Amino acid sequence: MRERNSAPASIDLSVQIYTWLLAAYPERFRAEYGPHMAQVFRDVCQRESRRGGLPGLAALWARTSLDLIRTSVEEHIDRGIDMNRENFVRWSGWALMAGAVLFAAGLILGSFDTNYSDPIGGLDAFYEISQIVGIVLGQILFVIGLLGLRAGYGTRSGSVGGALLLIAVIGGVVSLGGMLIMNSSELGWTAWALGLLTMTLALTGYGGVAIRRRVFSRWYFAPLLAGVVIPVLFGVSAAIDSSGGSMEDWTFAVGVSATAVGLILLGYRMQAEAATTSQALA
Amino acid sequence: MAEGVKGPERFLPLTPAVFHILLALADGEKHGYAIMQEVEDMTEGRVQMGPGTLYGSIKRMLAAGLIEESDDRPDPALDDERRRYYRLAALGRKVLRQETERMAGLKDDGGQDA
Repeated sequence: MRERNSAPASIDLSVQIYTWLLAAYPERFRAEYGPHMAQVFRDVCQRESRRGGLPGLAALWARTSLDLIRTSVEEHIDRGIDMNRENFVRWSGWALMAGAVLFAAGLILGSFDTNYSDPIGGLDAFYEISQIVGIVLGQILFVIGLLGLRAGYGTRSGSVGGALLLIAVIGGVVSLGGMLIMNSSELGWTAWALGLLTMTLALTGYGGVAIRRRVFSRWYFAPLLAGVVIPVLFGVSAAIDSSGGSMEDWTFAVGVSATAVGLILLGYRMQAEAATTSQALA
Repeated sequence: MAEGVKGPERFLPLTPAVFHILLALADGEKHGYAIMQEVEDMTEGRVQMGPGTLYGSIKRMLAAGLIEESDDRPDPALDDERRRYYRLAALGRKVLRQETERMAGLKDDGGQDA
């Protein structure tokens, strides 16, 4: 207390201004930690004033202002978003799992459609409709799942990991758009294939980042498995086509199933980890 | 399954602020300013946390059960009794150990790659 009474006016003024600026934080946070933050700021002011005088105090203010701006925004976001974000990640994990099942089922059932040019009817109609519904719904759920993956893991995945997840989301949206205009435009097929390839290549790259940074507490390999098979299938299919052959249906089914397994494992991890974090935050 | 999900791994990797606060509390309970000073000393001034970063991290670490408030005062005569002291919780100690091992593993991997 004696130190406080003998503090230079510049310190008292600084602490007074800082105390006013604490109004930038959410009320609950300010009520809980505001007095302690002001106390710590006073301690640091005294130290910097002793070490560097007024220039030292000015440098402290520069650092503290940036800290205040950044963390007050974070606290406002945290207050509203924390629980919502965990819930979103959790549900997007389920979306990824459901999307994987629908997508794989749609593609595999679609491969049984033996006559694409016939009018819809009979058993082929079932395959065609299953394919359309499965793939479109599956891709919508993929995009939701990838958005949740980025919301929940983007920060801890680093700048490269975050960027790859963003590319995967964009690829998913392009692919979905291509699917929706497929019947009316030739461009639809190209967009669907390029979007899917972009999405899975980005997911493959992200899988590498996730393993290296150990982003997940378990099953580090899940994003890599979810991403790598489709680009390999594209490559093998192109190579076989160029040599005049055609890919066996079972190869395609196994590849798509492996992708689905990777996505299901990834979705399961997302919802399980988000559920635990929600409990910890509650 | 549940054991893995509920374990300390779910907190990894830690943010730099959380890691440094855990490290600062490893040798005993401290109040906010003492944590800040310890972090600066440990990092030779490279990490200078502002009050917002410090208490924002403390809030989240308390909520996650990594640290806890202490009612004890090392010596009430020497200190302002309004200060809050914090100490590592058992979970925080495990998380710190695992994070240190993880970082050591990354360093080893890097060394082998090079």
